[in-house]
Amino acid sequence: MLTLLRRRAVSSVIPLLFVVLGVFFLARLTGDPANLYLPLSATPEMRAEFAARNGLDDPLITQFGDYLAQVAHLDFGESLRTAQPAGEAVLRAFPATLQLAGWTMLLALAGAVVIGSLAAYRPNSVTDRIATFLSSTAASVPDFWIAIMGVLVFAVTLGWLPTSGTSGAAAWVLPVATLLIRPFGVLVQVVRGAMVSALSAPYVKVARGKGASEVRVVFGHALRNAAAPALTVAGDLAVGLVNGAVVVETIFGWPGIGKLMIDSVLQRDFAVLQAAVLVTALAIFALNILVDLCHALLDPRVRQRAAA
Amino acid sequence: MLDTSEAGGPAVRRRWFALLLRDRFATAAAVVLILVALCAVLGPVYAGDLATRQNLRAPGRPPFGLDHGWAFVLGSDSLGRPVAARLLAAAGTTLAVAVPAVLCSLVIGSVWGMWAGYHGGWRESVSLRVADVILSFPSLLLAVVVLYVFSPSAASLVLVLAVARIPVYLRTARAEAAELRSRLFMDAARTFGTGGWAAIRRHVAPSVLPTLLTVAALDFCFVMLAESSLSFLGIGIQPPDVSWGLMVAQGRQELQSAWWIALFPGLAIVVTTVSATVLASWARLTTDPGQRWREGLGRRSRGLRSDRGSRGDRGSRGDRRSRGDRGRSAAGDAATEEEREEERSVPGSAAGSGARPPGEGTEADVLVVDDLSVDVHTPTGPVHVVRRVSFAVRSGETLALLGESGCGKSMTAHAVAGLLDPVAEVVGGQVRLDGVDLLGLGARARRRLAGPGLAMVFQDALSALNPVHTVGAQLAEPFRIHEGLSRRAARARAVELMERVGIPEARSRAEAYPHQFSGGMRQRLLIATAVALQPKVLIADEPTTALDVTVQAQIMDLLGELRAEQRTALVLITHDLGLAAEHADRVAVMYAGTVVETGPVAEVFGRPHHPYTRGLLASVPAEQHRGARLTSIPGSPPEPGSVPAGCAFRTRCPMARERCATHRPALTGTGAGRAAACHFGKELADA
Repeated sequence: MLTLLRRRAVSSVIPLLFVVLGVFFLARLTGDPANLYLPLSATPEMRAEFAARNGLDDPLITQFGDYLAQVAHLDFGESLRTAQPAGEAVLRAFPATLQLAGWTMLLALAGAVVIGSLAAYRPNSVTDRIATFLSSTAASVPDFWIAIMGVLVFAVTLGWLPTSGTSGAAAWVLPVATLLIRPFGVLVQVVRGAMVSALSAPYVKVARGKGASEVRVVFGHALRNAAAPALTVAGDLAVGLVNGAVVVETIFGWPGIGKLMIDSVLQRDFAVLQAAVLVTALAIFALNILVDLCHALLDPRVRQRAAA
Repeated sequence: MLDTSEAGGPAVRRRWFALLLRDRFATAAAVVLILVALCAVLGPVYAGDLATRQNLRAPGRPPFGLDHGWAFVLGSDSLGRPVAARLLAAAGTTLAVAVPAVLCSLVIGSVWGMWAGYHGGWRESVSLRVADVILSFPSLLLAVVVLYVFSPSAASLVLVLAVARIPVYLRTARAEAAELRSRLFMDAARTFGTGGWAAIRRHVAPSVLPTLLTVAALDFCFVMLAESSLSFLGIGIQPPDVSWGLMVAQGRQELQSAWWIALFPGLAIVVTTVSATVLASWARLTTDPGQRWREGLGRRSRGLRSDRGSRGDRGSRGDRRSRGDRGRSAAGDAATEEEREEERSVPGSAAGSGARPPGEGTEADVLVVDDLSVDVHTPTGPVHVVRRVSFAVRSGETLALLGESGCGKSMTAHAVAGLLDPVAEVVGGQVRLDGVDLLGLGARARRRLAGPGLAMVFQDALSALNPVHTVGAQLAEPFRIHEGLSRRAARARAVELMERVGIPEARSRAEAYPHQFSGGMRQRLLIATAVALQPKVLIADEPTTALDVTVQAQIMDLLGELRAEQRTALVLITHDLGLAAEHADRVAVMYAGTVVETGPVAEVFGRPHHPYTRGLLASVPAEQHRGARLTSIPGSPPEPGSVPAGCAFRTRCPMARERCATHRPALTGTGAGRAAACHFGKELADA
C-alpha cells in the first residue's frame, strides 16, 4: 500500500506544481487589483502604497518565492476583499462543496450500478434501449439549464423547494439533482458497457455451470469485475464535479468553494483564489489515492502489482 | 462465429449510408444536426438584425402567438426582442465557437498523439504527462482564469476550449498508435525505410481516424456545453452577441415573469447535444463490427427463451418470429431443401437411437443428444453451426467429440450444457440426461442439475476462473449453492477437493487468487470445480490445449481417474487424434456441424468408414505409416454459412460422385457399434 501511495505521490507532484504555478501567474495577468479596490481617482502614490502593502510591487518571481515560503508555513495570505486570512475563507467553504459532491457521487454511483446492470443484463432489450437513450441524454444536458428549469418548476411554480440556501433537506434536492445528472448519465453507460463484457466472460459461464442463480452471477461474479472501469471514470467525474460545482453553487447561492473561486477571480482576490486552487488540487490528489485504494481492494492483481 | 462477423464488417462499412437510414434514431439525429447547421449559416443572415432590435412596445410577449410574425412565435423578452429570431442568430455564434474548437483540438491532439504513440520513449511519456497536467484540473476553472487574461470573446473561447480538449485526442490517438506500433506491419514499414511521418500518414492515420471522429462527435457536446456554461456565467460570449447559454442567463433574470426566455435556448442545446451523442454512438457501433454483432443480436435469442415457455414478453417473441422467418428465407431455401432431401433419402434415419447404430442397448446411456441443431444469428441471417447432431454416452465411458476448429464441436458442448452465448440458439432436438429432456426444463430446474447432473471444464482456465475471488471461494461455491453448506464447511470441502486434484499445500493455497497459479494448476482447479458434486456427465472442452505436453498428460490422467472414481460419463472435446485414441472409448467425428462417423475408437481409427476420417488419419504422423508420405486433405473446411448442398465433405472428398452433390448422407450403421454419414460407408466398411 505504501509503495502505491508513494508512486501516486511522485506522479502527482509535477501536475500539482504546474497547476499552482499556472494559477499564480495567470491570476496576476488578469489585471491590477488596484483598479478594483481603489477609487478611480487614486493617485499613483496611493496605487504604489496599495501594491507595497499587498506585496504586489516585487518582481513576479520574488512574489512567487514569498508565496511558496508562506504556504510552507500554512499561511495563505490575506483576502484583498475581506482582509481575512485566505486559508480560513477556503476552509469555511470547502466542507459545503465536499458534502454536496459526496452525496452527488454516492447517489450517482448507486443509481448507475443498478440501472447499468439492468440494461446490460439483456443488451438491446427495451429496458436497455430506454436506459441507454435516457442516460446519453442525461450525459449531454446543460446542467445550468436543468438547474434553472428546476427552480422554475419546483420553486417558482410549485413552491415545494427553496431556491437557495443550505438549511434543511429540501434545500439539498435541487443542487444535488443538478450536479448529479451528468455524472449519472455517464456512469450508467460505463457500468452498462463494463457489465456487458463481464457478463460474456468465461467465468460467468462457469458460474452458471455451477448452477449459480442469476442474482449471484450478476452481483457476485460480474459486478466486481465490472467495477474497475466504472471506478476510474467515477474518479474523473468527481474531478469534473468542481466544474459543475461552480455553476450549481452560483445558481443556488451555495457557500462552497466553486462560488468562492469564481468570485475571487471576478474580484482579483489572488490570495483566496490561490488557496482555493491549492486546496482543490490537494483534494483531487486525495481522491486519486482513494480511487487507487478502491482498485486495490477490488482486484487482487492490482494489490500484487502494488506490492511488487 | 468470428469469421461471419468479419465477413459482415466491410459490407457494413460500405453500406454505412443505408445503415444510417435504417436506424431511425440516428437518421433523426443526423437530420437535426443538418437543420442546426443550416440555422447556424442562414440564421444570422435572416435574423441577425431582428435578434438585437429592441421593441419596447412589445415586451414580454408569451410564445405560440402567430399575430406578430414568425419572429415572435416563441415570445419576446422584456426588451421586446423576439426569442425565435435570437435563437436562430445564437445558433450561428454557438457553432462558430464549437466547430473551430473541436477541429483545432482534433487536428493538434491527434497528430501529436500519433507522433507520440508512433515513436514511443520519452516523446510518449512527456506527452502523456502534459495531458495529465491539463486533464488533472477542472477545465472550467482554468477556462475562467484564462478568459480573464484574454478578455472574453469568441476567439479566446475557441482557444481555451481547444487547449482543454487536446489531451483527450492525444490520449486516444497515442493509445491506438502505440498498439499499431507493436504490430508486425509497422516493423516491415520501418525496415523498408518508410519512417516517421510517411509511416504515420500511411499506416497509423487510417486506422486511428474512425475512433477519433467518434471522440470528436462526443467532444462536440462537451465543447458546446462548456461554451454555454461560460457564457451563462458571463465570461463567454458577450452581449450584444447572442449565444444559447447567454440567453439562458438572461432568461434566469426574468424567470418569474417570462419562463419561455430560458426554456427555448436550453431545449435547443439539449436537442443539438443529444443528436450529436446519438450519432456518435451509432458511428461507434458501425465502425466496430464486433460490437454491432454482439449488441445487435441479443434481442433475437431472448425471444427464443420465451418460446421455451419461461416467462418473457410476447412482443419480442413475435418480433423474433417474423425476423427469424425473414432471415431464414433470405439465407436461402437451399437449407430447408437440403433437409427435406435428407429425410427423403434416408427413411430409417439412425438419429433416433443416439448415433449408436440400431440394436445396441440404450438404457445405460446417461446422456443422449438427439438431433440437436444450433443456429448462430448473424446480421445476414441465421447460420446453421450444428446440424442434427446425435450421440450418447454411458456412465464411466469416455466419448471423444473430434473435429477441426470451427466444426461445431464446442458449440455442441455449450448447447448440451445450456451455456450458449446469446447469439446462438438451439433450434431443434433433445438433450436427455437420465431420460429428462434438459431443453424442456425451466431455468430453475436446469440450474439444479448444473453441477450434480452435468458439468463442464473449459478450455482457457485463466479466463474461466474469476480473477477477483480466491480459488477457495470459487471451489466452495458448488457446495454452497447445491448443498447449502455454511461458508466454513464449504471451504473445508473445497480444500479437500484441491487436495484430491493434486494442488500442493491446499489449505494455504485456497486463499490465493487464480493469477497466482500456473496454467496446469489452474486447469486442475477448474476440473475440481466441475467434479465437485460428482456430476453424471462431465464435458471437457479442449481441456489441455493451452498446456504443454507433460502437463497435458497429467491433466488427462486426472480426468481419467476422476471418471473411474465417480463413474462419470466423460465427453472429451478435442481436435487431437492422439488424445482421443489414448483416452476415449468411443469417438464421434464431426465435420461442418454434423457427426460424420462414430464408433469404438480403436476400430474407427483402425479402419475408418468415412473418407473424412480417413483423410484425418492420413495427415497424422504415426509409427505404422513410417516411411509413407503424409497427405493432407485438400482444401479447407467450409465456412458455417456456406456449407455445400448435399454432402458437406464432397468438395474435398476423393470419392465424391454425382449423388453426393444432391443427397446429403445420413448417419447410418456400417457395422457393429459403428455408423458413418457417407453414401459409400458400406463400401468402405467392406473393402
